[in-house]
Amino acid sequence: MAVGSPQTEVLRMEHITKKFGSVYANRDINFDVRAGEVHTLLGENGAGKSTLMNVLFGLYQPTEGDIYVRGQKVKIESPSQAVKLGIGMVHQHFMLVEAMTVFENIILGDTRSKGIFIDRNARKEEILELSRKYGLDADLDHPITELAVGAQQRVEILKALYRGCDVLVLDEPTAALTDQEAEGLFEIMNKLKQEGKSVIFISHKMREVLRVSDRITILRAGQTVETVNIGEVSGEELANRMIGRELKPSQYVKSDSSGEIVAALDHVSYHKSSKHNGLNDVSLKVHRGEIVGIAGVDGNGQSQLAMLLTGNIAPEEGAMDLKNSKVTRFDPNGFIQENVSHIPEDRNKAGLVGNMSVADNLVLKSTRDKRFSDGNGMHLKKKAIRSYALEMQEKYDIRCSSVEQESRNLSGGNQQKVILARELEASPDLLVAVHPTRGLDIGATRFIHDTVIMQRDMGCGVLLISADFDEILEVSDRILVMFEGQIMGEYSGKNPPIDEISLAMAGK
Amino acid sequence: MKRNGIGALVIVPLLSIIISFLIGCMIIAALGANPADAMRYLLKGSFGNMRNIGTTLSRATPLIFTTLCACFAYRCGVFNLGGEGQFIIGAIVACYIATKAPFTGFPAIVLCALAGAAGGGLWAAIAGVLKVWRGQNEMIITIMLNYVATLLMGVVYTNWLRDGSVPQTVAVPDETQLASFFGLRATVAFPVAVIAGIVLFYFLFYTSSGFQLRAVGLNMTAAKVNGFNVKRYLLMSFIVSGAIAGLGGALELLGTQLRLINGFAAGYGFDGVAMALIASLHPLAGIIVAIFFAALRVGSTTMQTATGVPTSVSDIIQALVIVFTVAGMAMVKLPEFKNWFARRARKEV
Repeated sequence: MAVGSPQTEVLRMEHITKKFGSVYANRDINFDVRAGEVHTLLGENGAGKSTLMNVLFGLYQPTEGDIYVRGQKVKIESPSQAVKLGIGMVHQHFMLVEAMTVFENIILGDTRSKGIFIDRNARKEEILELSRKYGLDADLDHPITELAVGAQQRVEILKALYRGCDVLVLDEPTAALTDQEAEGLFEIMNKLKQEGKSVIFISHKMREVLRVSDRITILRAGQTVETVNIGEVSGEELANRMIGRELKPSQYVKSDSSGEIVAALDHVSYHKSSKHNGLNDVSLKVHRGEIVGIAGVDGNGQSQLAMLLTGNIAPEEGAMDLKNSKVTRFDPNGFIQENVSHIPEDRNKAGLVGNMSVADNLVLKSTRDKRFSDGNGMHLKKKAIRSYALEMQEKYDIRCSSVEQESRNLSGGNQQKVILARELEASPDLLVAVHPTRGLDIGATRFIHDTVIMQRDMGCGVLLISADFDEILEVSDRILVMFEGQIMGEYSGKNPPIDEISLAMAGK
Repeated sequence: MKRNGIGALVIVPLLSIIISFLIGCMIIAALGANPADAMRYLLKGSFGNMRNIGTTLSRATPLIFTTLCACFAYRCGVFNLGGEGQFIIGAIVACYIATKAPFTGFPAIVLCALAGAAGGGLWAAIAGVLKVWRGQNEMIITIMLNYVATLLMGVVYTNWLRDGSVPQTVAVPDETQLASFFGLRATVAFPVAVIAGIVLFYFLFYTSSGFQLRAVGLNMTAAKVNGFNVKRYLLMSFIVSGAIAGLGGALELLGTQLRLINGFAAGYGFDGVAMALIASLHPLAGIIVAIFFAALRVGSTTMQTATGVPTSVSDIIQALVIVFTVAGMAMVKLPEFKNWFARRARKEV
C-alpha cells in the first residue's frame, strides 16, 4: 500500500438528498469510499446513481446532506472543484476531442501551466510515467479517431490520473468493451487499488460487479438499500435487493427448430473493405421459431446486417431470400409488407418519432389500416387509435402519463416497449432486433426477452443483434459471431462454448 | 402533458402580443401622443366599420396564402423560403391567361387559379428536385428563386405585357376580376384562402398521408425505417406549398392588384414564414395570425391620420411580436423552464 491503509476513508457522502421539485432523486443516501477499494454502485436505471455522482462531481447541489473529502467537509460547486479535490470521472460517453491526439486530450483543460507555452517534453514524460505505473499503454501522438474504444477509455483514465485524482468514477465502463478489453480494464482497476486509489464502479452487469468489487452499495428508488462486502451475498440475492422483489432466474428453453427458412443471406457483401461498417461474404439463415443471436463487439458490421435484413440498404454482392423468394428490391416498405419487423438500433433516431404521441407511434406503420382510418387513410379514426393505444399500454405495460404524451418524454424502457408493441402486433414472420435491451433495467429487459421468446414460440424467426454477450447467451437458439464484417463461427445456443465464442468475438 | 404543451403554444404568442403592445404604447407616449387614443384608432382603422374590415381581410388574404405555404412545407421539414417567388410566378401565369385568353369571366378565373397554382408548384419543384435528388440546400435555392421570379416579373411588366408607356402590365379585364365578398372590399379570394387553410388542417391531422408527412418532418430517419416514401413526401411538400402560394398570387392579381407592377408581393414570402412560426405551423392559427398582422398594417394608417403617430410604430409592434414569440417558444423548450413548470403543475395537484 503506497498511500493510506485500506481502511482510510477518502470520501464520505452523508444523508444526501436531492429533490427535483417534489420528486426525490436521492433520499438520505449514505455512501463512503475507502482508499484502495473498488466500491460499486448498483441499481436499476432511475435508482439515483447518476444523480448521486453528479452531486459528487459538482454538477448538482444537494438539497440536504454533506460531502467529506479526507475528513474535511467540502462544498463542491463545479466539476473543476471536484477535480481539485481529487475526484475524476470517466463518463459512459467519452469526453474526448476526436481530432486531437492522445497527448493533447490529456493536457486539455489542465490549469497547471502559468505561462502561455506548454513544455511538451516534460508533460509527455510525466504522462508516460503514469501510464507505466498503471499499465495504461497509450500512444500519445495518435489521434483519438484512430483508437479503439478500449484505448479511448484508457486515455480517459489517464486524463483523470494526470489531473491528480484519488477517487475515480467509472460510469458503466464495460458497456462498449469486448470481454478481453474488459479484462484489461479490470487489471488496471487492480493496479489503481494497489496504488491506493479508489474506484467508484457503476454497472448493472452482475458478473463483473461480483468480480471486481470490494464493497457494493445498492440503490433503489433514490435510497440506499444497504452496503455489503463482497462475498456476503450472492449475485442472485443482489439482483433481488436491487429491484426490490424476487426475480426468478430466467431459464429460457432453447428451441432447435428447423422450420421453414424465413430469411437467408447468400454470400452477401456491402462495403467489403470497411472493417467496422461493412459486410464481407456473409451467409446465414433464419428459420421460423428460432432466435439467431449475433454476438460481437459493436461496430463490426452488425448495423449493416440489420439494415440489410430490413431493406434499408441493398447488398453490393450476393443475394437475399425472404420466405423463399429472392429479394429484388431493397426498400423498407417492401420488407414491411413482407411482414418483417424491426427493432432498430437507435430507438430515438430510427424507432420513434419523438415529438409524436405514444398513440401515434403505436400506429405509425398502420394508419392506412381499416382499423385506424376510413377510405384507405382518408380519414383517421382518432377514437379507434386512442382505444388501441390504451389496449397496447395495458398489454405491453407501457408506463406513461397518457397515451397522448410525447414519446420522447418516456424512459428508455418504455420507449422500447412502444416500439416492441408496434413491431410485434404486426405478427411478423421475421423480427430483426438490434440491441433491444441496451440501457434498460433488469425489469424491462426481462419483459422484452419474455415477449421476444413468446413471439419465437408463435413461429416468428428472430435475428437478435446485441453487444451484450450475456443477453445473446441467455436467449439465442443459435449463435453467430461477427468480426470485421465477417461471420466467424456458428455455435449452438444450448451449452454454448463461451470461451471459444469470446475468442471469435476478438477475431481469433 | 399535452395540455401544457398546447397551452404554451397559445399563451406564448398571446403574451408576446400583449408585451409588444405595451412597448408600442410606451413609444407612442414618448412621441407625445396618447397611447389609448392611438390604440383606439388602430382598432377603428382595422375593424371599425364594414369598409375597414373589408380592407383588413383583403390585405390578409395574400398573407394567409404565404403563411399556409410555409406551414405546410415546414410540417414536412422542408424550409421553403420561396413563398414570394412562388406567389409571383402564380400571378405571372394568371396575368398571361387573364389578358391573353380568348375567353373571360368565370372559366378564365378558374383557369387562372389552377394554372397559377400549377406555376407556383412547378417553381417550388425546382428546389424540391434539387433537394431530393441532389441534396442541395432548399433554403438557399428558394431564396435565389425569389430573385429570379421578381426579375422575371420585371421583364413581364416592362416588356412582354407592358401597358403602353407605363412600366406595368395591362389590367385584368373587368369580367375576369374577382367578385367582392358580401359587398366588402375583400374578394372571394378570402373565403378561398380560409377553405385552403381548413383543407390543409384536415389533410395534416386527419389523413394518413398528412400523418406520414408530419412524421417525415419530425424524424426523417424514423420515417424511412418505418417504410414511408420520404422522397415522395419531400417533393410533395415542395409542390403543394408552392401551389398554395401560386394560387394566392393568381387570386391576388385577379382580386386586388389587377396588374403586375414594381413591388408586387414584396415581402409576402417572409411575412408568411414569420406568421407560420407564430402560429406554431398550425394552418387554422395561421389564418388568424395573418388577419391580425393585416389589421395592424391597415389600422396604422388611420392611427397616423388621427393622432399623428407614424405607421412605423405598427411596424415596430409587428416586429416585436415576432421576436418575442420566437424567443418565448425557445424559452419554454429550455429544461429549466420545463422543470419549473412541472414543479408548479405538481403543486397544483
